Amino acid sequence: MATQDDDTLTGSVPEPDAEPTPAELAHARRFAELIDKTLTGRPPPAISADDRALLEVATVIRATHGQLALAPDRQHAVVEDALRQAIGARPAGGSAATPLARARAARRWAPWLVAGASTLVAAAALLVLWLRPPGSPAGAPIGRAAVPVEWMSRPADALIGPIARDHAGDAGARIDAIFADRLDGFRARRLARRGRP
Amino acid sequence: MKHVLAGCWITAALAVVAVTACSAERDAGDPPRPATRLTDPADSSELIGQDLLVALAQAKNFHHKAKVFMSDGNLPAATAAVRQILSLAFPHGAPEADDVRNDARALLAKLLISQGQLDEAARTVAEGLAQSQRDSFFVANLYTVQGEIHEARAAALAGNDAGAPGARDERHAAIEAYDRSIQINERLQKKLMEER
Repeated sequence: MATQDDDTLTGSVPEPDAEPTPAELAHARRFAELIDKTLTGRPPPAISADDRALLEVATVIRATHGQLALAPDRQHAVVEDALRQAIGARPAGGSAATPLARARAARRWAPWLVAGASTLVAAAALLVLWLRPPGSPAGAPIGRAAVPVEWMSRPADALIGPIARDHAGDAGARIDAIFADRLDGFRARRLARRGRP
Repeated sequence: MKHVLAGCWITAALAVVAVTACSAERDAGDPPRPATRLTDPADSSELIGQDLLVALAQAKNFHHKAKVFMSDGNLPAATAAVRQILSLAFPHGAPEADDVRNDARALLAKLLISQGQLDEAARTVAEGLAQSQRDSFFVANLYTVQGEIHEARAAALAGNDAGAPGARDERHAAIEAYDRSIQINERLQKKLMEER
């Protein structure tokens, strides 16, 4: 909601010795009330952007002047909590020291939680591997695409067939056939992999 | 905090030991692959790789070299070239390694037979049969060559007396080797036909 005071920060700067205008005095009174309400914990539901900026500046100035001392009962509670934690006791509920204690406890238990979780995962992996049914072969293709047999290293029996006695010494011709076949498979695999991620 | 760190280290060590033990157990539990089993496509280590092709290419070159030496009548050099195939490094577990080495042993034995080194030929074949992990047409071929060695021995023992006892034993051994070769060939052919 725009007001006539919205140009307080962006408007022209008055002379230092100039008399305040009625509008400036009214704005000053309204801003003083706003600061009082904010400091007493009763901030208005909505304020303008200029007022919010001025309010932040006023809060900082007040804090730097040392006017933010805790109430005596509050100071006492904070000191008591600190002393309790020093001797290992639980701090009183609702105190400012509670988050520190909670963070320290979390820091103390976090490595153990990580270590315990790791152990559980390792134990589960062991159980899965050892208790796997004997019927399932090691490294069985579960959910993996089948690979053509031509791409695989395999016995050459199907390629060569029975060797006649007359050709028992023709190993040179057979190695030529084996090499050519495996080279074809290798090239087919390399070409098929192209274009894939 | 020291205890916490120790706990983390112990947990990490347990996880590593568990994974290592599982993989070792898996390796030890792998049964030897039958000759005609279709390749398991899930194991990426069984894919044809450059290392396999390099080994096959080297074997091919040594065979070619041996062929040139043979055409030149230099059988000792040809024998040496074929022997080099036996020391080629193939990828671990590659079935082609057994096949190529057994084929090289068969050729090597025939070269030794042609040079009259029957005992060395027999030893070459016996080593190949002992190291074979599975039956194959190449193992059957080794038995065929073993039969030829026994035949050659029988001929050497017989001399002018074809009925000499030693010669007869060698002939029986040759027949047994040929029979073994035929049995392996028949069994493998039957399996291949069933898989097609």
